[in-house]
Amino acid sequence: MNKPLILIVEDDTAVKNLMVTTLETQNYRYHTASTGNQALTEAVSHNPDIILLDLGLPDMDGVDIIRKIRTWSNIPIIVISARTEDKDKIDALDAGADDYLTKPFSVEELLARLRVTLRRLSYTQNPSASDSTFTNGNLKIDYPSGCAYLDDEELHLTPIEYKLLCLLAKNIGKVLTHTYITREIWGSAWENDVASLRVFMATLRKKIEKTPSQPQYIQTHVGVGYRMLRI
Amino acid sequence: MSKISPDELLKKIKQDEDQQGKGRLKIFFGYAAGVGKTYAMLKAAHDAKEAGFDVVAGYIEPHTRPQTMELLDGLETLSPLCVEYKGIQLKEFDLDGAIARKPELLLVDELAHTNAAPCRHEKRYQDIGELLNAGIDVYTTVNVQHIESLKDMVASITGVQVHERIPDKVFDEADQVELVDIEPEELIWRLQEGKIYKRNQVEKALNHFFTIENLTALREIALRRCADQVNKVAERSRQDMRGEYYREEHILVCLSSSPSNAKIIRTAARLANAFKGRMTAVYVETPRFKFMSEEDKKRLKENIHLAEQLGANIETVYGEDVAYQIAEYVRISGASKVVVGRSNTRRRYGFFTNPFTERLTEHAPNLDIYIIPDQGGSPHNVRYLRQPRKKLRLSEILKAVLTMVIATLIGGIFGRAGFSEANIITIYILGVLVAALLTSDRIYSVIISIVSVLLFNFFFADPKYTFTAYASGYPVTFVIMFLAAFLTSTLGITIQRQAAQAAGTAYRTKILLDTNQMIAHEKSAEGIINVTARQLVKLLHLPIVFYPSGPKGLSEPLKFEDNEEVIDFSKYTTENEQAVAIWVYKNNKRAGATTDTLGNAKCLYLAVRGAEGVYGVVGIAVGEKGLETFENSLLLSILGDCGLALEKDLYAKKRVEAAAQAKNEQMRANLLRSISHDLRTPLTSISGNAGVLRTSSDKLDEEKKQQLYSDIYEDSIWLINLVENLLAVTKIEDGTMNLHLQAELLEEVVDEAVHRLNRYSDKHKFVIRHEDEFVLAKMDVHLIIQVIINLVDNAIKYTPSDSTITITTRKQNGMAIVEVADNGEGLSDESKSRIFEMFYTANNGTGDSRRSLGLGLALCKSIINAHGGTISVHDYKPHGTIFRFTLTAEEAILNEPGTKFDERAILNEPGTNSDEGGNPI
Repeated sequence: MNKPLILIVEDDTAVKNLMVTTLETQNYRYHTASTGNQALTEAVSHNPDIILLDLGLPDMDGVDIIRKIRTWSNIPIIVISARTEDKDKIDALDAGADDYLTKPFSVEELLARLRVTLRRLSYTQNPSASDSTFTNGNLKIDYPSGCAYLDDEELHLTPIEYKLLCLLAKNIGKVLTHTYITREIWGSAWENDVASLRVFMATLRKKIEKTPSQPQYIQTHVGVGYRMLRI
Repeated sequence: MSKISPDELLKKIKQDEDQQGKGRLKIFFGYAAGVGKTYAMLKAAHDAKEAGFDVVAGYIEPHTRPQTMELLDGLETLSPLCVEYKGIQLKEFDLDGAIARKPELLLVDELAHTNAAPCRHEKRYQDIGELLNAGIDVYTTVNVQHIESLKDMVASITGVQVHERIPDKVFDEADQVELVDIEPEELIWRLQEGKIYKRNQVEKALNHFFTIENLTALREIALRRCADQVNKVAERSRQDMRGEYYREEHILVCLSSSPSNAKIIRTAARLANAFKGRMTAVYVETPRFKFMSEEDKKRLKENIHLAEQLGANIETVYGEDVAYQIAEYVRISGASKVVVGRSNTRRRYGFFTNPFTERLTEHAPNLDIYIIPDQGGSPHNVRYLRQPRKKLRLSEILKAVLTMVIATLIGGIFGRAGFSEANIITIYILGVLVAALLTSDRIYSVIISIVSVLLFNFFFADPKYTFTAYASGYPVTFVIMFLAAFLTSTLGITIQRQAAQAAGTAYRTKILLDTNQMIAHEKSAEGIINVTARQLVKLLHLPIVFYPSGPKGLSEPLKFEDNEEVIDFSKYTTENEQAVAIWVYKNNKRAGATTDTLGNAKCLYLAVRGAEGVYGVVGIAVGEKGLETFENSLLLSILGDCGLALEKDLYAKKRVEAAAQAKNEQMRANLLRSISHDLRTPLTSISGNAGVLRTSSDKLDEEKKQQLYSDIYEDSIWLINLVENLLAVTKIEDGTMNLHLQAELLEEVVDEAVHRLNRYSDKHKFVIRHEDEFVLAKMDVHLIIQVIINLVDNAIKYTPSDSTITITTRKQNGMAIVEVADNGEGLSDESKSRIFEMFYTANNGTGDSRRSLGLGLALCKSIINAHGGTISVHDYKPHGTIFRFTLTAEEAILNEPGTKFDERAILNEPGTNSDEGGNPI
């Protein structure tokens, strides 16, 4: 199998060097771009597997780049940003980014995120089972019967918990914002819905995680949303 | 060595401040048409223009002479406003256009002009006042006969009543007055040449107005008036220069509804002018005011307005005895002179009272009284409306008859008992007094007095049961009896009236006091406005619209109405009405219904003033009639109270803000000082270690290198944590505004915090206990995570390795509680009391304590306080420390129809519409 091709879009040389060095240690192939326009050209001409995108570029807003790319491609985009406000992350995710990383980040963290995304890619490229079932580690969802199983044992889920699980499974590897989830589940995004979401998520976790304080399947992104990890 | 008293100095400074930004007014003053005022004004305008000023001709009367009109060439002219009034096209001065154009100098002819009805102000001098307020200098023209206080004098000379008049104040307060003067002969020559009026009017003018005698007299008045004005200016500046301080003369004038009152007011104003004193106009409101005819009320209002225009202070006092009330007012206010009309002095009050002036002299012996001959000569009789007696008539008649019957019966008993007639007479007089107290009108007293005499005559005087009397002494007895009865009853009635009057005054005083107290109790601006408006509604029984002032002008109107009626407010809050309110707000003057300004509005608008500005506008739906004087004075007092209270409130808010800002500044300064020091150490370590690795990497052994790497790593982690704290501080600094509150699950938050801590805490044991499930609390999640990290970080820092750190969450009494406990050595009591202070560190004094900023716990406290929670420190048994903080817990309403954590298996299809989520298939 080919080594994946990663496009690094970052205007700060030091951070770019750090990322390049990190990718080299893992033998990933990479291209670099330091402006938005360059990034778009690279994305079109080389069709990378993953884009690491810095939001603060000199020529255009990172969120606009995401929107442009999303008009023609579903390449996974991991946003890297020094903007700490949750709103910026949520905007980027809602525009179509798959994941985000806040500066300062550790090298391990960056590699972990890359692995998560690559696992998801390999899964979508080689579907292991039919569309009617979903399998992730020991977790299995059987869509036609509307049942979910952990270690081949049926899970007793409420309708909302089941819906949540399906939603996360369909978007595996992708960070889903609170607003997105509540819209999908309840059709609205009131404040109270977010509170309910937290409770349902906690009950769902209790049912599928072995140690809920160190979740294996569903990751919390504080202030932003949730994501199911591909195991 | 200035002799100016501080008060004077303050006044002067205030005046100077007022002057700044205000336009200056120059008046070209003449004694008749045709002396060349407009010509002189235009000449001056050209000079100003050449000197580089931005000059615009705002309005020049079109009938002006051709030579004058030629001078308009070369001046920018504002196009006049065409208004239609009663089907006639009129050209008026465009005030808004002028303000929008905002030249440095504007020419507006004919100061005394009366605007057509659709214009904003009734009078042009009001337009000019607004221009001056907008900072525009104005040149204008006026003739002597238009000055209010000179009206009577001019009328007596020329026989012409001038209707367009300006208040003296406008003239006296002009910054410059230029007298345009020519010889009367020359004026008449000009007139004959046809330079002033058209040919056919010349003859008429020459016969009526333009006679040498008239013109000479007018010229004299004009010169005098001009000299007066100059004198006043000089006086003012002399006072300023030398700090001379006159004891002011205080002139009092009595207001009445008489048409001749206007003349008295004008005379008083001239007197006040001559004495350079101030003037107060007093109206004594008697109980009969209620029954005054509409016509009289209207005239009274006009007279009050006139007095106001002439610069008088208007006061209303309440009482039956006018002379006594005025004397009392004189005593209290320290007035030195009083002006009354002659007709006033002739009128008598009651049978046995002295003429007005004599009584006034009696009550106030040291007062100068000026008696002015009234124009008409015949005293004006105030026409009172018929008092509504019918309602009480029957019951009162019954009462009167009953008392008489009882008196007669008692008299009969006395007669039988053989008492003397004197006793019986006394009984009747007593009966009359009782009847007078029971009934409300003087007419009953008269009738009862007569009836009592007749009854006595009929029943008790010989021959009995006839109306004749034999004894020669009886007529005298009857007269004396009648007089005694009548006087007694009159006294009774007077007592009753005075009681009613006192009750009325008490009512007014009570309203004022109540309002004052209620306003004082209110803590917020909304409360003050609410109370004021409610009191006004109670007082006036009219709908009220209140526009509070906001940061950007006036806010949305608040509406108040009487409880009983439901009123459609939409007609009181139209765009037009709001525009009037805004005008009032900007100009700090009353406007709207019943005033000269924007009089076609539905409501009367008054500014709610404090000492330093307008804090709102109140609109009163007065209707056609307008407010009565006493209502008006009460209204002004209440609004004054309201304005001051609002001002106080605003100041209090500003003080709090300033204090908070000062505190923030202090915090920021401390923070910067401490971080700039504390940043150096880790930065030195990072850059130094990296430098060593770069230049001499080959000389170092692997173990040494690893040591340097991990130092760099640890120091950078420390910096990252510092940056997180700083971000939290910047959020807190602006107060609670920046908190991004959302309901969060405590478990999730604690897990996340512990997850972040994991990377540098492998030497301590962690225990996490969630005693209650699903505890939700509103919080800014990043800040609370920062609090937990800081608390745990402290625990790690100050306890030996292998200590256990326990994090507990639970819910108790509606509060979400988080505890971070360690089994370290614990804290001393002194430390516990100071631990939340900023820059306090446990090992104070050791300069090398770079690992602790002393910021962490202080920051935690700020964050928790901003969330409305508490943070505290306790001892952990047997040893150690517990930090505990609380947040308000939230209840989640779970939007899951039918099910709640039950163990039902779900069978529905994926992707089904969420609406069907609750219906398992």
